[in-house]
Amino acid sequence: MTARQGARGLARTTTALGLTVAAFAATTAPAAAAPQPMGQCTTSSGAVLAVDFSHWGGPIYRSCGTTPTTGYELLNQGGWRTTGTGHDGPAFICRIGYSGHQGGKQYPTPQQDDCVLTPPASAYWSYWHADPGQNTWTYSQLGAMLYKPRPGSVDLWIFGGTNIEGTQGRPTVTPDQLRAKNTRPTGGGPVPRDTRTAAPLPPGVDTGPAPGNPPPADRATPPPPSPSRSVTASPTPSKIVSPTPTPTPTPSATPSATTGSPAVAAPSPKVVDAAPAADAAHDAGSWVPAVITGALGLLIGAAAVFAAKRRRRTE
Amino acid sequence: MPRTSAATARSSAPGLAPDAGGRRLPRTLHPVAWWIWALALATAVSRTNNPLLLFLVLAVLGYVITVRRTEAPWARGFKYYLYLALTVVAIRVVFRAVFATGITPHDHFIFSLPHLPTPDWYAGIKIGGPVSLEALLSAATDGLRLACMLCCIGAANTLANPKRALRVLPGALYELGVAVTVSISVAPQLVQSVQRVHRARRLRAGRSQGLRALRGIIVPVLEDALERSLRLAAAMDSRGYGRAGTATRRSRRATGALMLLGMCGLCAGAYGLLDATAPALLGFPALVLGGLLCVAGLRLGGRRITRTTYRPDPWRAAEWAVAGCGVLSAVLLFSNAGFNAAELNPSIYPLSWPTLPLVPAAAILLAGTAGFLAPPPSAPVRPSVPAQRTEEST
Repeated sequence: MTARQGARGLARTTTALGLTVAAFAATTAPAAAAPQPMGQCTTSSGAVLAVDFSHWGGPIYRSCGTTPTTGYELLNQGGWRTTGTGHDGPAFICRIGYSGHQGGKQYPTPQQDDCVLTPPASAYWSYWHADPGQNTWTYSQLGAMLYKPRPGSVDLWIFGGTNIEGTQGRPTVTPDQLRAKNTRPTGGGPVPRDTRTAAPLPPGVDTGPAPGNPPPADRATPPPPSPSRSVTASPTPSKIVSPTPTPTPTPSATPSATTGSPAVAAPSPKVVDAAPAADAAHDAGSWVPAVITGALGLLIGAAAVFAAKRRRRTE
Repeated sequence: MPRTSAATARSSAPGLAPDAGGRRLPRTLHPVAWWIWALALATAVSRTNNPLLLFLVLAVLGYVITVRRTEAPWARGFKYYLYLALTVVAIRVVFRAVFATGITPHDHFIFSLPHLPTPDWYAGIKIGGPVSLEALLSAATDGLRLACMLCCIGAANTLANPKRALRVLPGALYELGVAVTVSISVAPQLVQSVQRVHRARRLRAGRSQGLRALRGIIVPVLEDALERSLRLAAAMDSRGYGRAGTATRRSRRATGALMLLGMCGLCAGAYGLLDATAPALLGFPALVLGGLLCVAGLRLGGRRITRTTYRPDPWRAAEWAVAGCGVLSAVLLFSNAGFNAAELNPSIYPLSWPTLPLVPAAAILLAGTAGFLAPPPSAPVRPSVPAQRTEEST
């Protein structure tokens, strides 16, 4: 038990410490990656980033980035910012914040985790991927700086704990609830016409039960994380299918009752599209405390020297 | 408590000036009081990553040591702890630069080390590459925290008489204490021995250099050490050290079992406390149970040994005050009262100036009052006194 947990911790650390050539290649040429409005992500281009703030009562935000990128860059553009730990550096994602959510406040808050040492396996941001066409999450084997999302894939960050068997702490949403459904990019503004072309995209997926835009609904049923959820989800496809146009009119930062709603089984949080935003303002603080400390240190030092001299004189 | 305040009142004026007016008798503080003070300060340090607070701790340590250290050989070692602390910081910084943890577009790039490519299956570790100011600063503050804790331990070693500290060991560990005392006094004796042999060689105009000279020094020094230890053993034997005592086989076994179980409990408890995913029963309860078992084992083992102490160290108001101000500063830092916990760990990504939270800074300065709460150390210069002291306490 203990050995396994240790191994798990080690694996977490190594995966979270993504320090590769790839990361650097990407950082040296940062022009390649850019935040995009959600409509720019399609089934075959761009990577969708989703972050689950439901642990603090927030929604699941999703945003879009161009693809030659790393998981870290995707999470640090368009208003998103992360904080690493003092022990592991920025590569270990300890806090995540979005400037459009609570004024860019990063979670977990310093009161919940001081982010000095590697967070415990019971409360950390776990990193999940779903490649295009996949409707199951895979736990990331690489750190955020190392992993390069494929075009059309979904990256999900959820907060909580995981166990080594992978039975606990799995995401409660499915990749299809988050992924882009449009085949063509739909401009920056609200463009509500994309969904009609969504049908043909996933190869080898039967579109049987769904009349309009099947992929989300029927893909959600076959690989269910728990049987109960599939049962509860089965009545919903009819419901989903009709609202499929609804996700599209809300491409920018408005709460959209997208495909997130049908998962009735779990207390599914809202899925909100996060528009690219400016970085939250950063205050570098003032240098006055440093000067005060320096003066205080000098004062103490002078007192010590004085005392030592006096002592020597009296002897 | 009134005794503590009385000590404070009495100490305020003459504390800075030992021997002035003769109002406070110079004496050595109980070593355990210094250890409690230093360990509490180290605990307080473990809470914070704020470089300003850490520098303040270093300043306070330096002050207390300058004011209250004796002239004994162990009291001159603080600068070596400072060197060790600097080494720790340097190693942290170098390792962070070599095994870089990644640079982000927001960071301040400083320089680039040659990059060593690693295969894909070894992708988690990167050697070389660009280094950012943030990475170096975070490594330096992280190292500084460890360095401060080292200096706290160094301060305890400098201020407290190690031989007297070993006296407070429980009776069951008395033999262990004797062994440690003997081994502590070996190093200065060896140095003395080497100096003596060297002087003798010079007087005899021994001109050999290099390896042969080394042989000429080592053999007499080893012989000296052997002779000295045989003499010490004989002296200790004649004073009754190492006797088996009146313990029965059963009680010895019971002691062993209790100690072993207690140690297992302590290990499990420490593991449970550090690993958040461990079951709750493994944490604090196991730690307490292990501690109780260890205490019981030590009591049982110590019951059959009776030792008398020559000139026991008193525990008076000054000891309470020194230990108390250390513990109080640790409690204040862990209490989160009156300050934002985030200020203890200022962010380096993105870079910002650290703040100086008022309560923790005051708590650290409070620990510094030990410099005048403790009585001045006994007068050092007369050569006969320290020599006598070291002999009697061995």
